[in-house]
Amino acid sequence: MADLPRYIGRLRMVPKSLWVLVAQFAVFSLLVPNFFAVSNFENILRVSSILMLASLGQAIVIILAGVEFSVGSAVALCSIVAVFAVQSVSVPMAFASGFVIVLVIGAINGTLIAYAKLPPFLATLAMLMLVHGVASLAVGGLPIEAPVSESFYWMGRGKAFGIPVPILLAAFGLVVHYILLSKTTFGRQIYLVGSNERAAHLSGIAVNRIKFLGYVAAAGFVAVSGLILTSRVASGQPNLIPNLPFETISACAVGGLSLAGGRGSTLQVLVGVLIIAMLNNSIVLLNLPTAFQLAVLGFVIIAAVVFQTTPDRFSFLSMRAAFAQKTKPQGDA
Amino acid sequence: MLLSRHLCAARQGSRDGRCLWKMAVMSEQSSPVEKAVLEVTEVKKAYGPTLALSGVDMNLYPGQVHALMGENGAGKSTLVRILVGATQPSGGAFRLNGERVNFHSVSDAIKAGIVPIYQHLTLFNELSVLENLYSFDTATAGLLPPYLGSAAAETAKASLARVGLSVSLEQKVSTLKLGERQLLEIARGLQRNCAVLLLDEPTAALNAHEADRLLEVIRGLAAEGVAILYISHKSDEIRKVADVVTVLRDGRSVICGAPLKDTSVDELVNAMLGHAFAVVDKQMPVPGEIVLEAKQMVLVPGGAPVSFAVAAGEVLGVIGLVGSGAEEIGQALAGARDILSGSIAIDGQLAHPYSRRDAVRRGVGYVPPDRHEDGLFELHSALSNASASILKTVSKFFFLQRKKEKASFSSRFQALALNPNEPDREIQHFSGGNQQKVLVARNLVITGLRILVLTEPTRGVDVGARDKIHDAIVEATHAGQAVVLITTDLEELTSLAHRTLIVRNGQIVRELPQFSSPDDVALAMLEQE
Ligand SMILES: Nc1ncnc2c1ncn2[C@@H]1O[C@H](COP(=O)(O)OP(=O)(O)OP(=O)(O)O)[C@@H](O)[C@H]1O
Ligand SMILES: [Mg+2]
Repeated sequence: MADLPRYIGRLRMVPKSLWVLVAQFAVFSLLVPNFFAVSNFENILRVSSILMLASLGQAIVIILAGVEFSVGSAVALCSIVAVFAVQSVSVPMAFASGFVIVLVIGAINGTLIAYAKLPPFLATLAMLMLVHGVASLAVGGLPIEAPVSESFYWMGRGKAFGIPVPILLAAFGLVVHYILLSKTTFGRQIYLVGSNERAAHLSGIAVNRIKFLGYVAAAGFVAVSGLILTSRVASGQPNLIPNLPFETISACAVGGLSLAGGRGSTLQVLVGVLIIAMLNNSIVLLNLPTAFQLAVLGFVIIAAVVFQTTPDRFSFLSMRAAFAQKTKPQGDA
Repeated sequence: MLLSRHLCAARQGSRDGRCLWKMAVMSEQSSPVEKAVLEVTEVKKAYGPTLALSGVDMNLYPGQVHALMGENGAGKSTLVRILVGATQPSGGAFRLNGERVNFHSVSDAIKAGIVPIYQHLTLFNELSVLENLYSFDTATAGLLPPYLGSAAAETAKASLARVGLSVSLEQKVSTLKLGERQLLEIARGLQRNCAVLLLDEPTAALNAHEADRLLEVIRGLAAEGVAILYISHKSDEIRKVADVVTVLRDGRSVICGAPLKDTSVDELVNAMLGHAFAVVDKQMPVPGEIVLEAKQMVLVPGGAPVSFAVAAGEVLGVIGLVGSGAEEIGQALAGARDILSGSIAIDGQLAHPYSRRDAVRRGVGYVPPDRHEDGLFELHSALSNASASILKTVSKFFFLQRKKEKASFSSRFQALALNPNEPDREIQHFSGGNQQKVLVARNLVITGLRILVLTEPTRGVDVGARDKIHDAIVEATHAGQAVVLITTDLEELTSLAHRTLIVRNGQIVRELPQFSSPDDVALAMLEQE
């Protein structure tokens, strides 16, 4: 055991969820018709960009040992505000106001949790209902349509350098997220606060400010996700994407983030989102009823999380060690 | 059986020299005639590529207190975890009453009569004292919880009395002091019918008086026929309580069950460290100007105000029994606790507002008493744990500079003998004493350090590393820093402190001068006002 080759040590650093993703990719490529095609991959990435950006936001909050249930309502209100603005003012103002409204919701969440000391679960659940109520009242319960506008559609449907804009934005989001979490002082503080709030406080970290800013930063990612979706559907709806909180939390869990906080990486979010996106895509390709989607998603979450949280049971290294132990001659027995 | 023990001795002898061979043979002669309850042979444990245990032999006999010693990271806690099935060994075997056993869970071990008391407390903070006392039973109970009824309460009271703990059964554990929790943890273990009691540094959180009481309890249990494994870094305690000793070095038993009366302190230290070691008397500087001043500070409603000052280069000792308020004074000085009235001044300037964050900005380091709850970021590396208070200094604009971060600690970790010296390893995979070293290092590097408030800075640390931490404190005083040392380790206190404040009921009842003897301090603590 003492002289394991170096590369095995490195392999241990790779998130386990990546193996799930690789296996899933191989199986789907073989079994699902039309899965293995460049156009399908582009499709998967484009569709998953919304979940990707929202999950990146969710991940920040989860690493802070919190949870964010109001992302779905925030995106819905974002769509309504943006469509109002594009109807009455201009496209840039639409994007700006949609972005700002999500940041405001993030700031309210942050204030409730960091300063008013509400548990994140309660605070964001209350905000889910409150924001949804506001969104419904604003449009009287019915969707509102955006006027036909190429520039408004650009974010959700356009292409730049031959690549769909949502994919570019998601890629950009991943890079920013990675730098934020693993290169900046703020990122380190997020991890420390999420890992042990008391210890962080006693080390002189401004715990409340980090939490507040964490929720605002998370809202930044959610806002971009909301704008892409608004631009794609070109309408403002109070019930735009009610499952978003659950899908983002699932993506984080499947990717391997600890819901207890303090741990998780951008790569894990990426893997978690891709696992869920490939799954949804295959269900569509196989012409299975969409009701299938939720059931399968539930199953995959359980399977992926069990696989990742039973560290030694499946690992080839420990199997070898156990084998060596069993076959070793036993002293004076 | 006898043959295998000789083999153990011979193996040791050939590897580590004559002296150990002799000792192992001696242990053979003086071992009790009774059969061992627990026999450990060649137990190994690998964590990935690192070997935490590379071959441990040890026999526990009924009625015998067996001391287990070794440097930080030698593998003592790992051995305890293996014996109770909390982790699985990678090799070797152990036998309970002659039968080979291998526990797959701690509850199996407890059922078989092996009760562990870990280095790290495992109480349920949100439950009552009573519920905690019965938590082992609750795990295996039927429909009704086992702590209902007056008989259960009587048993619980008796267990508390056995360790001399006077708290009410209804009290929540979260309201207890660390020392009280330690006693409760032991009381919980005692309440079970146990054949083997494994104690991993049980006195680390206790003061000398409470520790003595616990040692008496342990002797009493041994007299009742319990086999006891006693892990500690304090050799005077071990001499008081233990019959035989096993020493681990680098995961291997280099002394197996030698009788303590035939083993000198030097021999033990030599076996633990692999070389001779002696503590050199510390040269303390002459205190300079006043740095920190507490004026009429009141900490609890209705409490008496306390006033004192600490000068540059001075070590102010603070000591009191558990619950005396000594720890709270430390918290207040470090900005970790609001004061109700009065004030704190640093360099003559009023420190207000004074949160922990303000204190760090003013150069006040603080080592808290409970390293797990208040100190460590379990999921993170030793390096990120150490740098938590200097993130700004190791950053440029908004970005962390990893090289600078690493460089800030390479000499510190070396000086404190971090073992293994792998700054990127997660802190939870370090031994208890090494976690403590990281926590101390965090506070020694604070930018613009002026004041160090240290609560039990050498808790759970081995003799060598203890001396190294003391060296670091002395070095800080020579650099003009003021040190407040809150400790229950009388040796540590009297060798470092310029003055010592005795605290009782939140009040300073006496002040002792430099070079007071440990006995003076112990007496002063117990004195009636
Ligand atoms: N989960 C783990 N993963 C990897 N290494 C580990 C793990 N737990 C312990 N170790 C390593 O095993 C060795 C033995 O640790 P252990 O905690 O048993 O030491 P110890 O003798 O109890 O020390 P201390 O006196 O400081 O409590 C150490 O080098 C430690 O770093
Ligand atoms: Mg230990």
